[in-house]
Amino acid sequence: MGKIWAIAWKELYRTLTDRNLLLIMFATPLALSTIIGLAFGGLGSDTPTIAAIPVAVVNLDQGLDIGSLISDTLPISSTQAMTTALSPNNFSFNVGSVIENILLSQPITAGGIISSAATNLDLSALNCDLLPADDNSTANFQGSLADLLTTTALTDPVAARLGVEQGDYAVAVIIPADFTQRFLPTFTDNGNRPPDDTASAIEVYGNSGRALSAGIVRSIVEGIVNQFLRLTVTLEASIDTLFDMVDLTRINTTTLPTTLATLTTVNTDTFAVLGCLFQPAINPIRLEQQPLDQLQAGNRFALVLVTVGSAQAVFFALFTGVFGILSLYEERKQGTLQRMLVSPTAGITILLGKLVGNLVVVLVQLLILLLALTTVASLILGTSTFIWGSNLPALLGVLLALALCVSGIGVLIVGLARTPEQVQVFGPMVNMALGVLGGSFGFSVPAALARLSLIYWGVDAFQKLAANESGVGLNLLVLLAQGLIFFLVGAWLFRRRLNL
Amino acid sequence: MPNQTVMVKVEKLRKSFKRADGTMVDAVKGIDLEIYQGEIFSLLGPNGAGKTTTISMISGLLSPTEGDATIGGHSITKAPLAAKRLMGFIPQEIALYPELSARQNLLFFGKMYGMAGQALQKRVDEVLAFIDLTDRQKDRIDTFSGGMKRRVNIGVGLLHKPQLLYMDEPTVGIDPQSRRRILDTVKQLRNEQGMTVLYTTHLMEEAQELSDRVAIIDHGEIIALGTQNELTQQVGEDDRLEFTLGEQPIPEALLVQIQGTIEGVSKVLLTQPEQITENSERSTAGRITVFAKRGRRALPDVISFLNRAGVFLALTGRALRD
Repeated sequence: MGKIWAIAWKELYRTLTDRNLLLIMFATPLALSTIIGLAFGGLGSDTPTIAAIPVAVVNLDQGLDIGSLISDTLPISSTQAMTTALSPNNFSFNVGSVIENILLSQPITAGGIISSAATNLDLSALNCDLLPADDNSTANFQGSLADLLTTTALTDPVAARLGVEQGDYAVAVIIPADFTQRFLPTFTDNGNRPPDDTASAIEVYGNSGRALSAGIVRSIVEGIVNQFLRLTVTLEASIDTLFDMVDLTRINTTTLPTTLATLTTVNTDTFAVLGCLFQPAINPIRLEQQPLDQLQAGNRFALVLVTVGSAQAVFFALFTGVFGILSLYEERKQGTLQRMLVSPTAGITILLGKLVGNLVVVLVQLLILLLALTTVASLILGTSTFIWGSNLPALLGVLLALALCVSGIGVLIVGLARTPEQVQVFGPMVNMALGVLGGSFGFSVPAALARLSLIYWGVDAFQKLAANESGVGLNLLVLLAQGLIFFLVGAWLFRRRLNL
Repeated sequence: MPNQTVMVKVEKLRKSFKRADGTMVDAVKGIDLEIYQGEIFSLLGPNGAGKTTTISMISGLLSPTEGDATIGGHSITKAPLAAKRLMGFIPQEIALYPELSARQNLLFFGKMYGMAGQALQKRVDEVLAFIDLTDRQKDRIDTFSGGMKRRVNIGVGLLHKPQLLYMDEPTVGIDPQSRRRILDTVKQLRNEQGMTVLYTTHLMEEAQELSDRVAIIDHGEIIALGTQNELTQQVGEDDRLEFTLGEQPIPEALLVQIQGTIEGVSKVLLTQPEQITENSERSTAGRITVFAKRGRRALPDVISFLNRAGVFLALTGRALRD
């Protein structure tokens, strides 16, 4: 181990005493982040400064008619009985409408009432335990979205996209026609409604020049949809329970009142969630209020610095990762590698020392950049500000995982290349691609593509930590897994390449 | 003076490389050598003769295609770490970290030899004193002159007090004073510390001055091996002629032409003169050493050939005076 650490320490010392390298590793990303932070975040103050993001919302959702739901779900004989008993003709449920109202900061209303005097079953009266007890009937959204968003309802998605491209809106949220239909649960046990595994996604069409605004709106919409998803899962479980208790195929006009009466007396808690479905007081944004509030309460400059600074830090660290490993070729050229190889030091020890050294250098670079960014924020804001949140162990974990991943990619690139010259060409190309995907250049790509880049996972983790959210487990897992795979494969290739 | 205990034993050492066209070429063609303890042994040959490939295999830098070498009884292929503990290596180029100071370089490479703590610090002090750089020990290597770098380069090889020292053309491209110092150091190491030295050079006079025995290697083969007297008898001292050809590079074809055209010429070697450029880099200019068989009138024929061909005029700007 002593030799490995000696090599690693030598790497760190050589790097930190190279002025040109320091300029590239630290000064450049720091300057870029500060400039972008000032440009997009202003000098900042304690008052909320992200406001009035222009959003166009187009709700094409046709909702779901409860009659159709019943007829799709139940056998024909049962359908007849249910429609007669419940008379739900005027009832329709439209998730898209709820989302639209949330974005418009309008009161959320249901499309109809379902009740049946014949059975004394009033589904709307069922208690929805997802709502606070004192806010069970009237569900006005009580958040700050009206401060954050200036939403306009449009009907034409083409016009909405054009408006984004022309800069009238930062983002267009387009809800597809079959959103509710695909969103609601499917029943297979006793019903005949086939499972529908086709995804129906809300389109968040952002202006590339307003990535931060687009990101905020996207996270709001994701938050709302996630709440509905949770509801859907719960609902599915309840419906399954219902089917377990009642053989729906035997329901007819004679047996239905008795069956419903039995159900309502036996276990109403089971169906509470039905109340959430039919209850107009769904308030899914409530849980999203906390990050939104924090987003609003935080300083704009600090927020931009977290996003831009971490993206720049990881992006520049990628170059350190590649060229740090490449320096072994440089050592071979200047003869120091041979000098180590003729000493009683195994080739694998030299390689490990180099890899550990590279890992340490990348880690130190990221650590210093994060500290420098928080110092910049403190200096500009005039008050001591730690912009990376309060969860220091998680922050350190993300840093370590990122360093492993960045260093691993460096080893892999150098291992795959046949010559140092190839590394000098392909290394920056790969890094630039990862930078583009990960959002290092100020614009976002679709999330599915962005997730291919470690920068996305790193920045996402830093943003969550800065907002004092706890959910960075997936980020850590992805980064560590990628890092280990890259590192091991790259090291194996590199060892063969250099005959170590 | 050397005793007859074998320090290095080389057996059928061969190294093949693959050419770009896929064919194989033997850089070293199965050589056998024995180097005795306390001996200064020179491997003499022109550039591309196979000296560095041979020394690279003996030091464990290159794996032999065939054959083996033992250092103090330890096989370099089967027990490389044990063999490497006995040897020090002074490469032809300056193999140091320019961003590190002289002391930091010595400390780092000392650790690579398993040295640590006070013992290492003390030994570094001794080596710095030996190479006369104690007062500059904290300066970065990239601020040193070429000669000073050479001294540190040698110091690194001596750190762990090796029993065997490889020196791969250590005097290339340095000023006469530094060269003199290196040659004296080699002798001092052998005489005072009993160190065995394997010294490669393409300069006949260096080999002559230093060596107990010399092996002449060319095209991957040892073409002559013995003491200076034995070699003189083999080659014929009266029939050797050296031409120093000034600043211009000597075309390889000329050597082939001389050997192929003139009767009696057994060998033509290209050697480096003591020419130092301002930045201490190697000069491409050289010296031709022609070996001819005794009794033949080859050497006047060589001069005549070179003059006829206008070679001297072209290379040096003046005709050769007999």
